[in-house]
Amino acid sequence: MSEKLYQIISKVFNVDNSKIDDETSPENLEEWDSFNFYVLLDEIENEFNIKFDLDETLEIKKVGDFKKIFQKHGVDK
Amino acid sequence: MEKNENLSYFLNEAKTIKPRELGKKLRVAFLASSTINGFEETMRVKCYQNGIDCITYVADYNQYNQEILNQNSGLYQFKPDITFLILDTRHILGEHFFSWYSIPHSDRKEIIDTKHEEIQNICITFQENFDSKLVVTSLQIPNYSPYGISEGGDYGLKDAIYKINHKLFNEFQEHNSPKIFIYDFNEFVGKFGENNIFNYKQFFSGDIKISIEYIPKFVNELMGYVYTISGVAKKCIVLDLDNTLWGGVIGEDGFDNIKLGDNPIGRSFVEFQKRLLALNKRGIILAINSKNNFDDAIEVIQKHPNMILREENFACVKINWDDKVVNLQKIAEELNIGLDSMVFFDDDPINQEYVKESLPEVLVVNLPKDSSQYPQIMTEMKEFDVLKITEEDTKRSDMYLGQKKRKELENKVGDFNEFLKQMNIEVKVEKANSFSIPRISQLTLKTNQFNLTTKRYQEEEVSKFSSSENKIVECVKVNDKFGDNGITGTYIIEKKDNDEWIIDTFLLSCRIMGRGVEEIMMNQIVEKAKSSGIKKIKGEFIPTAKNKPAENFYEKLGFKKENEFWVFNTDNTIKKPEHIKVIKNE
Repeated sequence: MSEKLYQIISKVFNVDNSKIDDETSPENLEEWDSFNFYVLLDEIENEFNIKFDLDETLEIKKVGDFKKIFQKHGVDK
Repeated sequence: MEKNENLSYFLNEAKTIKPRELGKKLRVAFLASSTINGFEETMRVKCYQNGIDCITYVADYNQYNQEILNQNSGLYQFKPDITFLILDTRHILGEHFFSWYSIPHSDRKEIIDTKHEEIQNICITFQENFDSKLVVTSLQIPNYSPYGISEGGDYGLKDAIYKINHKLFNEFQEHNSPKIFIYDFNEFVGKFGENNIFNYKQFFSGDIKISIEYIPKFVNELMGYVYTISGVAKKCIVLDLDNTLWGGVIGEDGFDNIKLGDNPIGRSFVEFQKRLLALNKRGIILAINSKNNFDDAIEVIQKHPNMILREENFACVKINWDDKVVNLQKIAEELNIGLDSMVFFDDDPINQEYVKESLPEVLVVNLPKDSSQYPQIMTEMKEFDVLKITEEDTKRSDMYLGQKKRKELENKVGDFNEFLKQMNIEVKVEKANSFSIPRISQLTLKTNQFNLTTKRYQEEEVSKFSSSENKIVECVKVNDKFGDNGITGTYIIEKKDNDEWIIDTFLLSCRIMGRGVEEIMMNQIVEKAKSSGIKKIKGEFIPTAKNKPAENFYEKLGFKKENEFWVFNTDNTIKKPEHIKVIKNE
């Protein structure tokens, strides 16, 4: 799961995979801006075939937060 | 035809684009009543992939009024070639969007009139102040009404939006505004569905009114405007036969067993052919490039009861065992069109690759194995779009048929002069008028070979010239025993002073070139000059990669070279070819 998540993030933000970990956030990754974040949400939804609730998307402050939501949605591939 | 159509792909690609020296340049502005991040990036990438270097300007959110009305705005400084104004119903109606039925019926008309006038005024101001084209998206008809199934009355919510759209279409699209075009947004909504293109989460989060997943698809809808304005639109579809126009292989399956008509596979080919025929009727040229025994294949085209396209629909037929690339080159040569205006449909992936590799100018469609997808693949192509269908477009396929017959006569008669005599050519010379101006502009934009100066003029420029005291804008209609060729030549003369005229533009469609019509045109100019007391006619030859056929024209007619100009002294005359009958209509 992590690997696929990192891949999508690295693709959408156009940064090297090695730069991404669970602590990656808008604070330490300049490519993470508000619009790119919406693009990311959209592509994660499509790739993992899930739908985030609006309030869940508001709680995502760093990459690790995606994993918490995945658990809630039962994504563990 | 991209493999990856995600928005992130376009956002990332856009960062890598570098302008090319020889690319066609296009300046595109976006104005909108909502967030349109991602639009300009997608457009730049799509342009780049089609040989266009696109420079964009994106106005600040919701600033479209100021950008158009204030002459110091960034939009004025940017000087766009094309401007997209993306409006949306929520924005235009404001709170009325939710509470339409709280407004007394009697007031609704006034509100709609006001909203319509606001958009209309923006368009008119734009038309007066910009050289750019303006594409305005029509308003989305709401898919929900609080009235539910009882919705539908006069000036109800849906009807009100429909009325605004209808008026805009009527004023601009129908009434042939040369600059303002209305894009039918509801076509986009209908194609992909409102529940897909509008995502509430994205709307509440970032005022995104076209969902991220569908932004690339929306931009693709706008590309039709971009292709035609940049002059990269396609004119000709070249088709393979086996498994492209019918199912199966004629050489193996035989006339009775190919799939065409009343079975699931056969229906897909019939539908595909019907789509092609409709395009052909509005001016797209069709040609065949197929490896087959000529007699086997032509029998299907002539006699198969379910065949939709017949011989007369094809301007050029290459059914032989020659190389497909060589055939394509011959088709381009015989039809006198560039390889870059051709689209190639062939089901065989090997042929697709081979043509892509050998002739990168040709657009090769990635036809899948499943023929049921052919009609949709074709109807989603934006490469055939033109801003306006002219009379010449709708007559084009007949003209090419005439051309085929002319060629046959020429081959039969053998002697070229004798052939010309038998053609009964009639040339009608006319001053530009509101009917011919769109076509004259189109000729200046598209004619490459017999074009002395290759100056490109938009419709409104031609219109300005034609009403100017200092210019003469005339065109020629050519007719012969095989049919009407329509308006195929034009010239624009600048009256420099009382002694001298300058040839600003002089061109003739390549279909007509070499039959004496060009001499008739120059003869007209000289006669006109003489009767106005003009002593000298001056013209320039501006060489391009393609206009070699016109290179020696001045010299042949007795112009003398003086510095960069060719000069004709009107004491002399230009001999009129005797085989042409000239009709003046001034």
